Amino acid sequence: MTAAVGVIFLAPLGYLLIRNAGNDRLLEIVFSARAGTPLAGTLVLAVATAVIAGALGTAGAWLISRTDLPARRMWGLLLALPLVMPSFIAAFAFIAAFSPGGLMEEALGVPGFSVSGFWGALAVLSLLTYPYVLLPVAARLRQLPSSLEESARLLGKSPVQVFRQVVLPQATPAILAGCLLVFLYVVGDFGAVVLLRVETLTEGIFSNRLIDPEVSLAFSLLLAVVALSAAGGERRLSRSSVRDQVRDVSPVVVKLGKWLPAALAGLVALVSLALVIPAAVLVYWAARGLGGEGGGRITDDPASLVGPAVSTSLVSIVAAVVAVAVVLPVAYYMARKRDRLGGAVNAAVVSGFALPGLVVALSLVFWALGSEVLVVFYQTIPLLITAYVLNFGALALGSARVAVAGVPARLDDAARALGGSRLRRIIRIDLPLMAPGLLAGAGLVLLSAMKELPATLLLAPPGFSTLATKIWGAAQEAIWADASLAALVLLVASSLLTWALVLRRGGALG
Amino acid sequence: MRTTRTVGIPNFMHKANLTSRRSARLAAAALAVIGIAVIGAACSSDSDDDSITVYSGRSEELVAPLIERFEAQSDVNVDVRYGETADLALLIDEEGDNSPAHVFFAQSPGAVAFLAGKDRLGQLDEETVAPIDQRFVDPDRRWTGVSGRQRVLVYNTDELNEADLPSAVADVVGEDLQGKVAIAPANGSFQDFVTAYRTIEGEDVAATLLDDLGDDNPPTYAKNSAIVDAVARGEVTMGLVNHYYALRALAEDADLPVANHRFSAGDVGGLVIPATASVLADAEGNTAATEFIDFLLGEEAQTYFAEETFEYPLRDGVAPSGELPPLSELQPPTYEFGTLADLQTTARLISESGLE
Repeated sequence: MTAAVGVIFLAPLGYLLIRNAGNDRLLEIVFSARAGTPLAGTLVLAVATAVIAGALGTAGAWLISRTDLPARRMWGLLLALPLVMPSFIAAFAFIAAFSPGGLMEEALGVPGFSVSGFWGALAVLSLLTYPYVLLPVAARLRQLPSSLEESARLLGKSPVQVFRQVVLPQATPAILAGCLLVFLYVVGDFGAVVLLRVETLTEGIFSNRLIDPEVSLAFSLLLAVVALSAAGGERRLSRSSVRDQVRDVSPVVVKLGKWLPAALAGLVALVSLALVIPAAVLVYWAARGLGGEGGGRITDDPASLVGPAVSTSLVSIVAAVVAVAVVLPVAYYMARKRDRLGGAVNAAVVSGFALPGLVVALSLVFWALGSEVLVVFYQTIPLLITAYVLNFGALALGSARVAVAGVPARLDDAARALGGSRLRRIIRIDLPLMAPGLLAGAGLVLLSAMKELPATLLLAPPGFSTLATKIWGAAQEAIWADASLAALVLLVASSLLTWALVLRRGGALG
Repeated sequence: MRTTRTVGIPNFMHKANLTSRRSARLAAAALAVIGIAVIGAACSSDSDDDSITVYSGRSEELVAPLIERFEAQSDVNVDVRYGETADLALLIDEEGDNSPAHVFFAQSPGAVAFLAGKDRLGQLDEETVAPIDQRFVDPDRRWTGVSGRQRVLVYNTDELNEADLPSAVADVVGEDLQGKVAIAPANGSFQDFVTAYRTIEGEDVAATLLDDLGDDNPPTYAKNSAIVDAVARGEVTMGLVNHYYALRALAEDADLPVANHRFSAGDVGGLVIPATASVLADAEGNTAATEFIDFLLGEEAQTYFAEETFEYPLRDGVAPSGELPPLSELQPPTYEFGTLADLQTTARLISESGLE
């Protein structure tokens, strides 16, 4: 079963290998300075973003799951929300807000600065991706025993000391898994890097795709190698991780005390930058359009967004459920056996997240049209969902692995002793225990699928619109009122779905 | 604060039941959606002459109203896939003979050259392209121009007077304007301009202009609209873009301090780039596809492009929107719009100039 999942996830890689096989210039391109600069650009940006997002996400997760912070649920939702922003629209909103002469300068008189290049991309991508760390770490922290923390507290350690000496080591696997996702997201991101003009592999794939397709293909393969190496490296790092922990009955609550103002200030600053300011830009543009200044088809008829909102939500929910179902056997396999098969399948699933949607989509076109059986699915919803699962399965796998590892083996043993069958044990014991982790993973897939653009454009049935394609269509023509209105609907729909399907049920965020 | 529950077997079982019921419901919903999709796909896959698929690199915002009008007046049903022109060209190439597309409606001739080079495009009827200004029709009729956009210098009216702006694009470099003219080197329209410049003025002249531009270290942006926004904010004072972004920005907010400056008639800087329509090789002679392209080139659609999208209509006798001079007055430079080899040379020159 695990091997079968692996084969499915190898579809894009196989496509890249086949397409590159006839590429005489492959080695020449890969080992030239032409590839070296964008490769270095990608690696530096991805590592730096992973570090910053890792720090922000971990701190946020601890605050909302382990402290007496007021209104923790609200903070949890607010902190997770930047995930719903498509990176191209977020990058544009940041440019409009912070650039010289931008909205911040106009509204508050804060002098603007040029949002572009490496630092611009680092800031924008960190603010967009820290939830990839926050969600799994929060889920992990809720599963961990608090006895150690309690002892540390009794020994008079400050919250910061408790965090550093007790919480951090325990949460390390989840933090690493989250950082890996951030790294891969940045490696595969088109939207922000192209707009902010950073020289990366994706930017090279993008600008060469028609002019010199061989360069694009070679860069794509290089990118896949980077992703596979990262996945392998992370697995090695987390090998020594703590496993088999018992979930505690009552999570300990750390009193923030004199640290409370600092914590609140930090959260306010983070939420303002990552969410409030970009959302305010969208509201400003949308309101201007609805007030009659400019705007296009969407501001003329906002109800036309209902259809795309519903189809976006349905397709994304299905993709999230399918993704979790597909990666769960892999997570089990990896928890029970530490062999090469598990490692290889993990790497295949994980690397899918770094591949640009364009590559995933073209690979599915290749495989679907090359097979007499699969051709029936060409340009249908199931193929689109397959693309989402290939692209975002990694998001579910990370959380699923952490969740599976959190199920105490002795409970399973006890159930076996009582004569429970394997399936029964999984449904009765494992699933309820894993629910927060699995739901967090499903939530990540859901949010990513809702904003997915490149594969949706190429693979959806003709005439099938999602909110992301609507946003993109309007942004293409610089009709910002329309793009903003659709983006706001995406923001609201994603928040409602995350709350209703993930947070309320899973309790992943307190 | 969350209420705490003691962990015990009954509690587990309660939760487990809930979870499995919930999963069952979700699984049923998933199966239903997939089922509907498969049935839908099966029903729609048998195509007839009265239904065509259009891959459109032009956005839904601009094109959908036109397509609705076409569907209302004809018996043809149009399925549209919107996407980026370059991505759709790659898709058509990857699909090969199995492509469901009949018509490719592209942003610019560059991507069309890519497909023509791979023999993916059919030939248009002579009568179809007859009413169009023949400077914007492929001699082999692999594509026809549908509407045109002109390259201009957009500038901030608070900062600059039009009288002080250069009359030739070759003068946007040099001490006075150093670092002040924004460009979008990765943008298709900029690349089309460079290709035209090379073809008309020669490789060396083009390379010199690009090198000079590169030495000036100009502010660069990802696309035209980003430049127009930056000029409107005053972040830069001017930029090389397509003409209609400023017109559209002004339609959204009439107070914006932006305006277009046209280079003098005949200057390569004032190139007019057509959006194009083609039929795919397998759809050559398909009556519904031909009918659709005839509609795009007809008076109604051409007037729509003039008035709604502020582009230049390419059909003889249809006038552009109020503020714009007629195409005949512009004397835009003409050249044989790109082949793929041209694009590669252009990309090399741009990258050698350090403009990235």
